[in-house]
Formats: sequence, C-alpha cells, structure tokens
Amino acid sequence: MTATAIRDYAVSGRRQGPAVRYGAACLALLGALLLHLSLNSTLPLAEQWALLWGRAPETFEDFQFVYAALPRVVLAVLVGAVMALVGSLLQQVTQNPLLSPMTLGASSGAWLALVCVNIWLPELMANWGAWFAMGGSLLSVTLVLLIAGRNGLGGLPVILAGMATHILMGAIATTLVLLNQYATETLFIWGAGDLTQTDWTWVTWLLPKLSIALVILLIAPRPLTLLRLGDAGAGARGLSTGPIIAVLLLLSLWLVASAITAVGVISFIGLITPNIARASGARTARDELCFSLLLGAVLLLLTDCVAVEASSWFTDLVPSGTAAALVGAPALIWFARRKLSARDQTSLQLPEGAARVGRRVWVSVPVVLAALVLLTLCFKPDAFALVAPWRGFQWPSDLVLSLRWPRLVTAACAGVGMAVAGLILQRLIRNPLASPDILGMSAGATLTLVLYTVFAGGSIHEAGPLLAFAGSAGVLAILLLLGRRTHYAPGIMILVGISLGALIEAIVHFVLAKGSDQAYAILGWLSGSTYRVSDAKALLFAGGTVVLFLLALCTSRWLTLISAGDHIAMARGLDTGRARLALLILACALCALVTAVMGPIAFVGLLAPHVATLMGARKVWPQLWLAPLAGMMLMIFSDWLGWAMLYPKQMPAGTVAAILGGSYFIFLLTRRRLG
Amino acid sequence: MAVRILSRLSVLCVGLLASIQVLAVTVTDARGEHTFDSVPQRVVSVSWAMTENVLELDVKPVGVADIEGYSTWVVRPPIPEGVADVGKRNEPSIEKLAELKPDVIILSNGQEGLVDKLEQIAPVLFFDAFKEDHDNAEAARGIYLELARLFDKEALAEEKLAAMDAEFERLKGKLHAHFGETLPDVTGVRFFNEAVALVYGANSMSQAALAKLGIEPAMTVSESQWGFVQRKITELSKIRDGVLLYFKPAPGVEKLFGSPLWQAMPVARAGRVAPVESTWSYGGALSVRYLAQAQTEALLTIKPQ
Repeated sequence: MTATAIRDYAVSGRRQGPAVRYGAACLALLGALLLHLSLNSTLPLAEQWALLWGRAPETFEDFQFVYAALPRVVLAVLVGAVMALVGSLLQQVTQNPLLSPMTLGASSGAWLALVCVNIWLPELMANWGAWFAMGGSLLSVTLVLLIAGRNGLGGLPVILAGMATHILMGAIATTLVLLNQYATETLFIWGAGDLTQTDWTWVTWLLPKLSIALVILLIAPRPLTLLRLGDAGAGARGLSTGPIIAVLLLLSLWLVASAITAVGVISFIGLITPNIARASGARTARDELCFSLLLGAVLLLLTDCVAVEASSWFTDLVPSGTAAALVGAPALIWFARRKLSARDQTSLQLPEGAARVGRRVWVSVPVVLAALVLLTLCFKPDAFALVAPWRGFQWPSDLVLSLRWPRLVTAACAGVGMAVAGLILQRLIRNPLASPDILGMSAGATLTLVLYTVFAGGSIHEAGPLLAFAGSAGVLAILLLLGRRTHYAPGIMILVGISLGALIEAIVHFVLAKGSDQAYAILGWLSGSTYRVSDAKALLFAGGTVVLFLLALCTSRWLTLISAGDHIAMARGLDTGRARLALLILACALCALVTAVMGPIAFVGLLAPHVATLMGARKVWPQLWLAPLAGMMLMIFSDWLGWAMLYPKQMPAGTVAAILGGSYFIFLLTRRRLG
Repeated sequence: MAVRILSRLSVLCVGLLASIQVLAVTVTDARGEHTFDSVPQRVVSVSWAMTENVLELDVKPVGVADIEGYSTWVVRPPIPEGVADVGKRNEPSIEKLAELKPDVIILSNGQEGLVDKLEQIAPVLFFDAFKEDHDNAEAARGIYLELARLFDKEALAEEKLAAMDAEFERLKGKLHAHFGETLPDVTGVRFFNEAVALVYGANSMSQAALAKLGIEPAMTVSESQWGFVQRKITELSKIRDGVLLYFKPAPGVEKLFGSPLWQAMPVARAGRVAPVESTWSYGGALSVRYLAQAQTEALLTIKPQ
C-alpha cells in the first residue's frame, strides 16, 4: 500500500500483463477500504458487515458507521476516481503530463466565488453555495483554456496560464478575506478540502453528476487513441479532433467542478495518478483511463487515512486536502525525477513592441518614476477631494517623511529585485513566461517562513531572512538535482513551483481552518506588505538589492550569449553549465531577499521584463535597466494605491501588484490570441 | 549657611520627587514595567479586547482600530460617537495615529510586531491577553485592573468587577431555581459547517463564564491559545449526560439537526441542546458577564432531568 508496493505492482504489471496489474489494484482498493473503515469506525468488522446488509442501526456507533464512516469512504472513492479519470483524460487529450484540474485553476475560481458569496450574499450560501462554487470553477477553467488557446494546450502555455489565473484569483480572494475577517471563517474547511461527512447528502448530490464519467469511459478511448497519432494522423483517418476535444473538455470540466464543490480543494490526485498509471504499464488509452480511475480511488482513500490518523495526533482536525498536499507534493517531485517533462520548447509569444528603445522612453521613464515618488511622499488621502484635488497634496512633514520613505524604498527595491530575477530566468529558460513566483523560488522561501510560524509558533514578521534564504536555497537544490539531467528544462522547474505552491496553500488553509488569528497574520504576510519594514531593514534591503543588481549587470554578456542559444554560447567560449548555475543562484538570492523582507510578490517578475521589451528593450543591456525601472514603478504605484484607496485601512502592495499585474497579463495573453 | 541652604534644597528635592511619585504611575505589560508621569488622556486602542477594556473604564479613546468590525462582532460595549478609526488591526495607519497625538497606544495579541513602529508615535503598552499556558479569564481580569491603575480608575474597576460577581451569583440562583441542587455539565461549541465544530475548552472565555456559575465542562478538550479546538461533530457524542450549547450564528444547523446521525447523538436524543445568542467570546474581563448571561438564558430553555 506504500509507494514501493505500488511500484511492485507496476513492475509485475509490466511483466505479466494487465490482468495481474488490475488484480493487484483491486486488492489494494479492498485493503484501503477496510483500513479506512477500521480507522473511522470503532465497530468490529462483523458488525459493519451486518449493518451493510441492512441491519437497522441502534447504538450511536451504528449510526456513526452508517452516516459518517460509510459516506466518507464512498465519497473518497468517488472523488479520487473522478479526479484521476479527469486528470488522465486531460493529459491524454493534450499530451501534456503536467495537466490536471489543479493546474487548470479549477479550484481558485470556486474559492473566489464562495468567498464573494459569503461576504456579499451570505443568505444564499446555504442553498446555492454549491452552484456558485461550480460556476466559479467553470468560469476560471474556461478563462484558462481561452488564454492558452488550442495550440497552447500541449505545452507550458496552458500551465502558465493556469498558474497566472490561480495567483490572480487567489490574490483577489485573499484581499477580500483580509478585509472581511470572520465573515469567511466557515469557508476555510472547504478551502482546506475535507471529506468528513455527517450524512449521505453530498454523496447523493454528487453521484448523478458523476455518472457522466461512464460516458467518458465509453466514448473517449477511440478518439484518444487516434489523437496519439497526432492531429494529422487523426485527420487522415477521417476524424476531426477539434469538436471531440471540446466535448471531452466540457465533460471533464463538469466532473471536476462537481467534485471540487462537494469536497473542496484536494489537489495532486488528478495530477499524479495518471503518471503512476503510465509508469506502472498502462499503455492504451482505455487502459490508462480505467487504471487511473482505480488507482485514484486507492490513492485518495490512503491519503484520507493519513488525514484521519493525523487528526487524532494533532489537537486540531487535519483536513484531507492538507494530507493530500503533504503526501502529493514530494511524491510529484519524486516522480518528476524520471518521468515527467512537458513539451518544453513550445514557448508562448507575447505581443512585441518597438524594435529599439527610443529617446522618448529614456526621458519619460525617469519623469514618471519621479512623479510617482512625489505622489507617494506628498499625497494626503483624507484631505483629498475630487472638487479640489490640489488639497490632497502637501509637502511631507519630518514625521510623515520618516514614516513613508522606508515603504517607498522597500517597494522600489522589491520591484527591482523581482524584475531582475524574472529577467534572468526568462533569458535562461528562453520562455517569456518564466518568473520566480511561478518557478517556486518565492514559494520555497515562503514555505519555510510559514512552517516556522506554524510549528515554532513565532511571529511570521520576526522570522529572519536567513530562513527565507534556506527555503530558496532548498528549492534551488531541488531544481539543480532535478534539472541537471534535463538541462534545466522549464517543465521540471514549473513542476516544483506548482508543487510547492499547492503545499503552501494547503498548509495555509489548514492554519486558517483552525480559526485562530495567527492565520490572518500569515495571510497578511503572504500578501506582501511594506508596512512593517523598519528604517534599518529598508536600508539593508536597498544595499542588498544594489549589490545583486550590479552583479546582474556583470552577467549581461552571459545572458546575451545564453539567450542566443547554447551552441553559440559555447562557441564563444562560455562554460554554459557554470554560467547557468551562477545565474540561477543570483535569481534565487534576489528572490529570497525580496520574500524575506516583504513576503511573496507575484507577477512583477513576470511582467517587468516584458514591459521593458514592449518599450523596445530587446537586447539584454537596455532590458537590464528598463525592467527594474518598470518593476519599481509598478511596485511603488501598487504600494501607494493599496495605502491610499481605503485609507486609513490599507491593502498590501503585493496583492495590489498581483491584481494589477494579473489583469494586465491576461489582457496581453488575450490580445495575443486575438491578434 | 551653606549647610542650611543645602538642607533646604534637599528637602525641596525630596518634596518634588514625592509629588512626582504621586502623579506618576507604573504599569506592567507583557514586556515589563512602564512609568507614565501623568494619567494618559488621549488613548488609542488597536485591539478589540483592549478597546472593550478601555470603554469599560469609562474612558473615551481618541482612536480605535476597525470600528466597523468591532460593531459587527464584539458589539458590546458600543464605541461612542466621535472616536476616530485608525484602520485595520493588523496594520493600523501610523500617520492617522500620529495625527491623533495619543499619550498611550494599547496593543494585544498578534500585534507584537507593531510595537517598534508605534513607539515612534507614543508610549506603547502590549498585553498578551490570550495564551495557551495561562488562564485567559484570570489574565483578562489582571489586564483590566492594570489599565484601571493607568487611568486612575481603580475604584470604578473594583466596583464593576464586584457588580459582575454579584451578577454571577444572581444567574447562579436562577439556574439552581431551574435545575435544582446540581447543575448539569455544559460544553459550548460553534458550528463551522455540517461536519466540523469549534469546541470550547477550559481556557475559553465562555467556559470560564460557566465555571463562575458553578458549571463543569461536559467534555474535556486540550488547552489552546484561544480556548477552542476544532473537532468532528461526531466527537460530540462523547457528551453523555451533559448539555450542549451552540453559539449563533450557526449556518446550516437546521440541516445538521435533521440528519439521522445527529438525532442518534446521546445529547440530541436527550434533547439537551440549546442555541446561545451571538456573543463575542474573545473579549476583555467584563465580556465574561455577557457570556454568562447569554449562556444562562440558553440553559434555562433546557428541561431539568
């Protein structure tokens, strides 16, 4: 029942054909069922058997078995099987082993919808909550698919679009949760993903909606087999793949949305199971679908056993989703070691701007920057009025100045740091969508800081930069270990990012579900605030950023050569391996520094280098100057907006930047598709 | 001559010192002792529990954090008109705070990180009101008295605490009149959804209120910072002869109560479940009174055995 056991089945499956493989999986399912029931019910097996065959429940233990233990086990089997089936379907349709409901952003849409309903229409929550969650989920996945487009489905674009949507919607939801503390408290268990049941309602709600899975099992194998031949091959056999893909995607969307609505965010099952199925020898399309279905049920049952056991150890309940992420994230990375790689080279082209940087840009950028700095320093939100806007500005007093400059410096340096880190990664991986927040470098630092708060009980604001460095360095080590063999392919790096991101989310939701105020402190920190930065810290941060920026300037030749291609770089005498390593370390250091001081900052690293390109900085040297300036402007503006908009309440700069940047990014992607 | 002048001077000095001693007040918070030369007049409270304490001392603060949230969740005692809002509790606006020119800023749990920033503006008192390893209700009483010393309102504080104790006795009398000699064991919960509830343990304000009424908990749960732990609803079956109180708002509770599993719970079969009117359970010393009143009201709806 452990990973080794599964691998044993895999080995035997390869040797002795599908019959043995299915037999073993069925045995595993039976074992998992019995284990799950024995953990969830105190009744002896004979009693359980009698109750199953119709004995009327009498004692509370009987009722507990019939109305809590049984529905939970059934729900685990259903949800696990469906998630895995959909994962397998998505991966086969797109030929992309990294695709799953999770990476399509299905859960973030549902989460955002539920948060909104709970805050603004709480009276609808009891009866209509499920439908809102489903609507949100459908909307977000549709958005991701639209962004990625037909051609993006096979490779990284769809995954990056999913991550972007996920971060954007998560940022909006976090802002709402922070501004409306307690109103969303009852949601957090759903957010953490829990299978605990007290009756058969959810099973009876879910069962008819999942019957579509049978349709998929019946009609999908043939087109999927043909799809493996590629679009051209399928076309030659008289099959137009477009409509079939559309129908299959719609059906799987429906399944995923229903499952998420019922149990909340349980990640990883849909992503890992099909990969395990393939690794254990499932070859044909039908085989992979069926075997994934079976394995998914086993895996979720076992994961849920872990959750149940852990709940009896901790003082608080451990939700199933948290257990799934704790088991799933390392398992995914372990699998990635050998098996996974997306079709890496299908990179996504964003709209391009001018061919070179005009003089107007060099003049206007510093002017705009200076204007933003003045705005931040001189604006007085409570004196501002639309009829007399000039009253909102006055020269800052010494006290006001002493309060505002550390924020200004911090925001500016965070913008520079993330922009440079993003630029390095994009040049290194040759993918315009690479950025430290998506590749998991920020996530590593974040994870260590969150873990420190949760388990050591300290305040997350006090946890030092050393811990953040340790986290980023840990991720770097994983990236290096995994990446050496694959030449730092983006697939692996993004996978690490996704895994860590989901892990952090699960832990945060676990803490939130505990319902203590600590959770809000963590959420506040996760949204990237400049509020608590002291004078000394701001100066140190500025110093560190300048040093790292200068180092980055020194590497501009490497970056130019590497982005031209490894062959050219080597022909010019560059040790590409060593240069890549140095550049990765530099990006990691920038990321860890920013995260330690301000918390994770999303989208700036992705967008700033691109904005620089739009302004004409196609070569490395001008981009190395313009991208940090763009990042600086975005962060300063975000910090100011978050501070002034709801004064005296404030919204963290990181969230504002994520919402601004995310919207702009989605706008860019859509423009690319339309153009 | 010189000796006489010196001795007179020294007498003067002693006199001056003594008079300062009379005006100055030393209070102890989580970080140690702080001396104030005079009673602070302009008070800002960034924590809801401390806002409650300050208001219960009949001191009108010049600014408090998150008035909207306080009025939604804490409710009692109401914040009077004319008190400025300084923003959210985790990140109050320092500039707004500075404009109020406070003599003292009061913080509590979760706001350790604000101390350094806010000390730029005014002296800061930080109280660690909720902790796993102390008795939250006792600590709340201590903090209330400490603040009373700061504002020179000790007589009022003693009076209010005595009135609260008298109220406990009155409620206790009502309960005994209803239940007879022995009161039932009671545990309070907050339903999260149909499957999970927060169970209040010994270190919670609501169970402390029950203890003041001479009521034991019906279910033991481990200590925690805020006094509650999260439990599956099925674990409430451990309550065999006690009473279960649940705090409103409780979304989806009708659905839960309709389920066969719930109806099989010993406590539900015995009909010993009652709702408690929405009451803030993480407040200051005097909030225990509201909790005792609301829970007594709820208990009086339970039939005695």
